[in-house]
Amino acid sequence: MNLDGMKTYQDDDEVDVVVVGTGAGGGPLLARLAARGLRVVAFEAGPNFDSTDFTQDELTAPRINWLSERISGGDTPTAFGPNNSGMGVGGGTLHWGAFTPRPDPRDLTLRTETGVGADWPIAHAELVRYLVEVERDIGVSGPTPYPWDAERTYLYEPVARNAPADLMALGCERLGVRATDAPAAMISRDREQPHHGLRRAGFNLGSIHQGDRFGTKASTAITYLPAAVADGAEIRPNSMVTGIERDGSGRVTGVTYLADGVERRQRCAALVLAGGGVETPRLLLHTGLANSSGLVGRNFLAHGAAQVWGRFDEQIRGYRGYPSALITEDFVRPQDADFAGGYLVQSLGVMPINFATNLVRGAGLWGKELMAALDDYRFSAGVGMNGEFLPSEDNLLELTDELDEWGLPRAEISLSPGENEKAIERHAITRMTEMLEAAGARSTRVVLRSAHTLGTCRMSIDPSDGVVDPDGRSHDIDNLWICDNSTFPSSLSANPGLTQMALALRTADRMLAG
Amino acid sequence: MMPVCTVFFLPGLGLDATAAAPLGEALDDRFRLVPIEFAVPAGEPDAVDGSVDALTRTALAAIAREADGGPWILLAHSMGGKIAAAIAAHVLAGRTGPDGESGLFGLAGSVLLAPSPPSPEPMSENRRVRMIGWVADESTLDEEQAQEFLSGNIASSLSDADSASALQQLSRFPPSLWRGWLEVGSREDISHEVGTLDLPVTVLAGDDDDDLGSTAQPALLKDVYPRAHFVPLPSTGHLIAYERPNEVAKAIVELWDTVIEPAPQTPAEWGRLIASSRTDVEVRSNFAERAVPDDATYAPLALTEDQLATLRRLADLLVPQPGTARIDLAARVDARLAGKPGDGWRPAGLPDDRVAYRLGLDALAQTWPDSPADQRVLVGRLVAGEEAVAAFPTAELSRRWFEDVRVDLVQSWMAHPASQARIGYDGFATGGTAPEPVGFSELAAGRRESWEPRELGRLGDRHENHDQEQHERDDA
Repeated sequence: MNLDGMKTYQDDDEVDVVVVGTGAGGGPLLARLAARGLRVVAFEAGPNFDSTDFTQDELTAPRINWLSERISGGDTPTAFGPNNSGMGVGGGTLHWGAFTPRPDPRDLTLRTETGVGADWPIAHAELVRYLVEVERDIGVSGPTPYPWDAERTYLYEPVARNAPADLMALGCERLGVRATDAPAAMISRDREQPHHGLRRAGFNLGSIHQGDRFGTKASTAITYLPAAVADGAEIRPNSMVTGIERDGSGRVTGVTYLADGVERRQRCAALVLAGGGVETPRLLLHTGLANSSGLVGRNFLAHGAAQVWGRFDEQIRGYRGYPSALITEDFVRPQDADFAGGYLVQSLGVMPINFATNLVRGAGLWGKELMAALDDYRFSAGVGMNGEFLPSEDNLLELTDELDEWGLPRAEISLSPGENEKAIERHAITRMTEMLEAAGARSTRVVLRSAHTLGTCRMSIDPSDGVVDPDGRSHDIDNLWICDNSTFPSSLSANPGLTQMALALRTADRMLAG
Repeated sequence: MMPVCTVFFLPGLGLDATAAAPLGEALDDRFRLVPIEFAVPAGEPDAVDGSVDALTRTALAAIAREADGGPWILLAHSMGGKIAAAIAAHVLAGRTGPDGESGLFGLAGSVLLAPSPPSPEPMSENRRVRMIGWVADESTLDEEQAQEFLSGNIASSLSDADSASALQQLSRFPPSLWRGWLEVGSREDISHEVGTLDLPVTVLAGDDDDDLGSTAQPALLKDVYPRAHFVPLPSTGHLIAYERPNEVAKAIVELWDTVIEPAPQTPAEWGRLIASSRTDVEVRSNFAERAVPDDATYAPLALTEDQLATLRRLADLLVPQPGTARIDLAARVDARLAGKPGDGWRPAGLPDDRVAYRLGLDALAQTWPDSPADQRVLVGRLVAGEEAVAAFPTAELSRRWFEDVRVDLVQSWMAHPASQARIGYDGFATGGTAPEPVGFSELAAGRRESWEPRELGRLGDRHENHDQEQHERDDA
């Protein structure tokens, strides 16, 4: 993004707020704080990309992903890197799929409803006010009316359906499952984005996880961050925060960071960590701060993200069009559930290397069977789930003895699904397979995987039960805040991006309220 | 027989497209020989001034006009050799050509004949001055000068017909180009712009040539073309295309048969799409590099030779490539291990990727069975987590290591443009540096747009008229 003429601060200036991270947490919060006149600096470990840095070459596209190695364990190690991370000004929103369902109110009170999982200490109605604001800020497309929420309206008509969406719609119709165009942070009409410029609609690129040059997909780098800079915020790329400085009373006074290999320090009156579900707990565990609960790094959550692929007679070529253009929320609470919570289903088209990788990792293919499945790529349409994942203290992030390129200990993440997750996955695979078969699939194949990085610094009312309070403020240090999806007490069945942006505006408001 | 490969001939100083004639006779009909004309008289629209830039632009435009989307080789003599290096650098960088929009794709290698190097061409100052003097009054070479040039550049006499043709070309060679090359082009140093070209190249040079002869060439070119194969030609001077047309043809055939043809070829229609303005410059560059045939003598960077050999055996089983063409997937994985960052994670309990590969491959080599059936059983058990590689504590960890190996190999296969064409993926031709943003407008199953390869479906309704116009243009 354009940072020319940006206001800058000296390391010795005590700015009002330092924000670590520029994605779905840091971006909206930075914009809100700057708009209210606060002196704010955001640190971004990765570079400031020009839109022309986003490439259609899938092999080299992960330059926008966090490629500093994470170590993944447990029964079902989750894939990092291109699967669920971003790096660069814009953070994870450079990479995100822009799939923007709103959280279902039942998911926010899962524990009350079922006795397992966690409740969110935030009222759904309050969250919705922020969700609506985010949808307006970044430009979200979707169907009005929305079948599962009569109150909802979308600013833009849905983006075009591609072939996998057509097939999922057909399959759902034949099964009596409601399905409709997916809400997406993809504009369906050209849009003049304040402080950024013209965003172009209508190119139907399937490669949006590799970044988008034309601005069809919302990232914070073309929405909240330009607004923040216009209001006087500074964004410092290539600056990795490695430490937190405090005064005698334990309050934060600044951060240390590495820029071009040189250690520097920035003074601040308040600090917001917004590095995501891996980097935020990693920094806190490394510094030993804000962990009186012992829960920093605990309750790592992903979403069950199994896919089913069907082989059709026609060339589907699901790499065309918005990759997840259809949604059903009919399984957020399935009638025949033998589990707590539920899942969303979306139609799927993926890029070829992603497809090949998932066939290997998620379906165990090799040899001639693998090559035959790759030859079926053009005939394949997918559907995928995003399923509730119950918190467990055994799913966790810990530090290892191995140091990364900044001298910080690498994180090791353990993820093992419990019985509830397995039951949800079984249910979803059955339903998704039925959908594809109803749509005319000749054969189907299951690909197992997980996505997203949540929950490692969860919010709670009771300080012993979480790392931050419902506003995002540390239970331990009153001028330390967390604004990223590490604060999610439960995973929700909705994808996290939109909800996180709403939480970011809310946390900013709580900070401004003092 | 349909030609399988185009050979673009870039003649040397004093000669023109006619100089391709002896090669045309020597080459079999698998090759389509297309000579490039630099010798356009001054004043005509296509005249060239003798700078590397002008010569390169002329050649790029000609190649763009004549390229059919399939593989092509540069065959370049003397002056043309320097231009060939500039062209190769241009193509491997994916850059757009003289029209500012589309680029080139399909360069598979070069055969260079006593080439002028990217660095200033070694030439005695006396000789340069004398040769410039021949065109001092902007006249073409006279008969005596042409004869002196010819005699000075051959080791044994040519046939009467070849001799007459060469003299005729010399005597009509544009003086401005003659002078321009000697004063400017030959002296330019484009080494930096050209850099290192990882391309299969055969360099033929005469034992009886001087500055550009067989003893001089390795020093001039080995850093430019690390894969260059230098072939000295005894009793040969500088005019190799005339003196040794059969050896030149043999070098081309050998390059094709042993290096290029064994590698996967991107179908011509797909090659044209990659070259077109729809495809992003960087993507075109990535594809151009990946389409270059692998080096059979590749020396591993991260692994040992033995480990690479084991990985190659695994690659054949894990990612068996269709047909007879082969990408050296193991070598490409080795290069990635040595260079680029990994994929951002690794399984807990395993060392970093490079170390894990070394340990795992060493251990597998110890127990690798002889019979293909046993090999398949072993691989199946590794994939299923039923077999521990001695390097790792458990079968489950071995499975996770092996999963990474399988992913790395299949990603290397998938990244090749021929593989993407094979599976029907043309999304690379969207979203990039095209003059106007380009994406998809037809999303329905079974349907395609007019710019897409025809195998990808029926034309969508809104594209039918446009497609017909396009094909009429193509046919014209």
